[in-house]
Amino acid sequence: MNSPKTKYLAFPYIVWMIGFTIIPLALIVYYGLTDKTGSFTLENVLSIATPEHVKALFLSLALSLASTVICLLLAYPLAMILRKKGVGAGSFIVFIFILPMWMNFLLRTLAWQTLLEKSGVINGILSALGLPGIAIINTPWAIILGMVYNFLPFMVLPIYNILMKIDDNTINAAKDLGANSLQTFLHIWLPLSVPGIISGITMVFVPALTTFVISNLLGGSKILLIGNVIEQEFTRGSNWHLGSGLSLVLMVFILISMALIAKYDKNGEGSTF
Amino acid sequence: MKTKKIKKWLEDFYLVIILLFLYAPIFTMMVLSFNNSKSRTQWGGFTVKWYGQMFESSSIMDALYYTLIIAFLSALIASIIGTVAAIGINRMKKLPRTITIGLNNIPMLNSEIVTGISLMLVFIAFGISLGFKTILLAHITFNIPYVVLNVMPKLKQTDYSAYEAAQDLGATPLQAFFKVVFPDIFPGILSGFLMAFTMSLDDFIITHFTRGAGINTLSTLIYSEVRRGIQPSMYALSTVIFITVLVLLLITNFAPENQTGIPASKAEAAMKKRRRNNNIRKGILALAAFTIVASVSFATYKKYASSHSNELYVYNWGEYIDPEVIELFEEETGIHVTYDMFETNEEMYPVIEAGAVQYDVVCPSDYMIQKMAENGLLAEINFDNIPNISNIDETFMEQSRSFDPQNRYSVPYTWGTVGILYNTKIIEERGLPVPTRWSDLWNPAYAGEILMQDSVRDAFMVALKSLGYSMNTVDETELTQARDLLIQQKPLVQAYVIDQVRDKMIGGEAAIGVIYSGEMLFIQEEVKNLGLDYSLEYVIPEEGTNLWLDSWVIPSNARNKENAEKWINFLCRPDIAKMNFDYITYSTPNKAAKALLDEDIQNNKAIFPDTDKLVNCEVFQYLGDEADTLYNELWKEVKSN
Repeated sequence: MNSPKTKYLAFPYIVWMIGFTIIPLALIVYYGLTDKTGSFTLENVLSIATPEHVKALFLSLALSLASTVICLLLAYPLAMILRKKGVGAGSFIVFIFILPMWMNFLLRTLAWQTLLEKSGVINGILSALGLPGIAIINTPWAIILGMVYNFLPFMVLPIYNILMKIDDNTINAAKDLGANSLQTFLHIWLPLSVPGIISGITMVFVPALTTFVISNLLGGSKILLIGNVIEQEFTRGSNWHLGSGLSLVLMVFILISMALIAKYDKNGEGSTF
Repeated sequence: MKTKKIKKWLEDFYLVIILLFLYAPIFTMMVLSFNNSKSRTQWGGFTVKWYGQMFESSSIMDALYYTLIIAFLSALIASIIGTVAAIGINRMKKLPRTITIGLNNIPMLNSEIVTGISLMLVFIAFGISLGFKTILLAHITFNIPYVVLNVMPKLKQTDYSAYEAAQDLGATPLQAFFKVVFPDIFPGILSGFLMAFTMSLDDFIITHFTRGAGINTLSTLIYSEVRRGIQPSMYALSTVIFITVLVLLLITNFAPENQTGIPASKAEAAMKKRRRNNNIRKGILALAAFTIVASVSFATYKKYASSHSNELYVYNWGEYIDPEVIELFEEETGIHVTYDMFETNEEMYPVIEAGAVQYDVVCPSDYMIQKMAENGLLAEINFDNIPNISNIDETFMEQSRSFDPQNRYSVPYTWGTVGILYNTKIIEERGLPVPTRWSDLWNPAYAGEILMQDSVRDAFMVALKSLGYSMNTVDETELTQARDLLIQQKPLVQAYVIDQVRDKMIGGEAAIGVIYSGEMLFIQEEVKNLGLDYSLEYVIPEEGTNLWLDSWVIPSNARNKENAEKWINFLCRPDIAKMNFDYITYSTPNKAAKALLDEDIQNNKAIFPDTDKLVNCEVFQYLGDEADTLYNELWKEVKSN
């Protein structure tokens, strides 16, 4: 274990990563920087500046930002409550959040359609109670809801994991020294949970930024996100070069996320699971 | 004390709300699994029939088997590679470690569609044919990071002096590892395994791009069904999976002890922690047992079922054949059929073009057949092997000539029109005019009540026809006009959908929708069965419409061409064509089969319109790559507006 040779144990995985992560990405870079005849071009990457793509990109950024913030606001108190519920229930709680993922995510998202539609379940209940109905299906709000729904577990779990590592004694010490709840929160809880929060933010923001299924199913295909543009270039327009070029632009955001994680979560403490 | 109680109550309330949010769609699925109506939006009475059908459906059971075996194998292999890698990474110097961990994060952070497509490109480049093993490789690739991330923190907590002590006491490094280190990191490996298993189960996008012929996971099967409506058996299966997992979970968590209460001492906390790990362990063991039993039984069944030398690979639209027809064909000819589905022509095309999967017989639409033929992807059909071609109405052979000039490549399978479907009740209540023309779709009175088709050519067809142009135009001015018209219409549109228009209209979600005529028989029957207080009527707009044909073709790289011809000939048999019509309800071009139908269906003008009504109708043609790009660009401008 301590012998210097141990590090070579990572070798098979590094080979695997070269074959199935690096080379595939290199192919995307190749496609993104060439045209159909195979000659070099920046056109695919620069096409992000066309009005349709800019609009789709900003809308995606806005929606994924909104859902990330909502996820964070929902998840933090939730993780605090779960922590309070005690150690013994830990695995059960993790299961409760993973369990919905065992139901196919397409089916779950379709089920939201049934719930949200004009004559859907929620409006049925609301009208039975004499309340006004909601009309969010096929709007950006439904997409945000779908994103929050699908990605909330990815925010809850890392924050919960990092909170579980905070020693009760630290909290008690702060209280003994006269800190009120808000002070304890700002000076103890929050700084100590930063790695979990950062990890959660990237785990929600990146998939939300690139999704196309949620916007298709809950947005009535009226709302074009950057994920939809890329998907259509690959599956309908069959212009893989353009799709790859736009993917390269999205990778910038992924690199930023990786940099953030490397900066704030050096030891992998805030890992999701 | 009282505020504490209120606080606790608030906390519990919050927890319940979140759980409700997470589980509401799952309860919805469970309810739908007992719904007698196939429609997603209407309650047709209580039934358990879907549970029976689920076990009978070989496509669902196969998909379940592949889903489980891929999840299990990929999680297992990823756990081994990932654990070994984590040990190595942990001993690396700082820089290589940061780089390796950074690389490790890529599959988790990269968008799934890029991961999926890039893997597909690599498989094709390396000449690995797409199928079970490519899905498995892809899943292992995105599963390893989860294992590494779970094992790394545990390794950090491991006390190395204990490991050294073990070696000092005479243990070999391997013994010392398994006796000292392994028990410490085992919980990390287990949760990594569990996470990997879950991610694999839930994956759709990456599987979608790396799968090959004849293999579906539940995700890809469901996706192919979204177009024509999810089979309720799918909901039944989800319910069964959910209940099974929940029961396993309850047994492992609640059987041994009461979990509530805050630990009084550290010792007790440690004990609880050990129990908790124990519980995860038991849970995973139960899970593994469940998977293995399910997999082995299916594997045996598969082995028995798949030993055939005489093969046929069929690629068809989702829900576009009576499954019994496939069985009959297999019985009569002894040919084993591998049946696959696609959702759109555009999705099917690159699969055939790349040749990663070799299908023997495919069912595209008119303009796509032309594109395939022009690009040399089709083989000429030997009509000597298809005597039943005489049953096909000559009108349709003639129409085929618009995209297959000498009738060399295609045999018509279904046909129909595109028209406007309207809800009589909503129209009447609102005092709206009954739609008769495409231009009615621009009437502001219908705001928020219009369902448009979500495909480039269909959407532009509506706009172009209402302007009085040909739907096969490549004239840029005409197309720009059509684009402006579609942008102008967008605020009135409730949603752009493909076949969900059927369920939405049955559910009374919208007043008018653009729909394919083949759905009409199903819709009319469903409205009758559900006892709805409105009816849905179909009209072919006066400006003319798209007259479409879906036909069987044989790709030039087909390996079983004669079997493909036997298949086409079989489908042209009147009794078989009638069986298919009864099941899929899309109009048949088979005149002998039509003669076998009930009189009132033969006279149903929505399904079999009079040919003189079709004067202004056209068949889609392939317009060339350049025009395709132009259409796509303009459509994107409509969508992003």
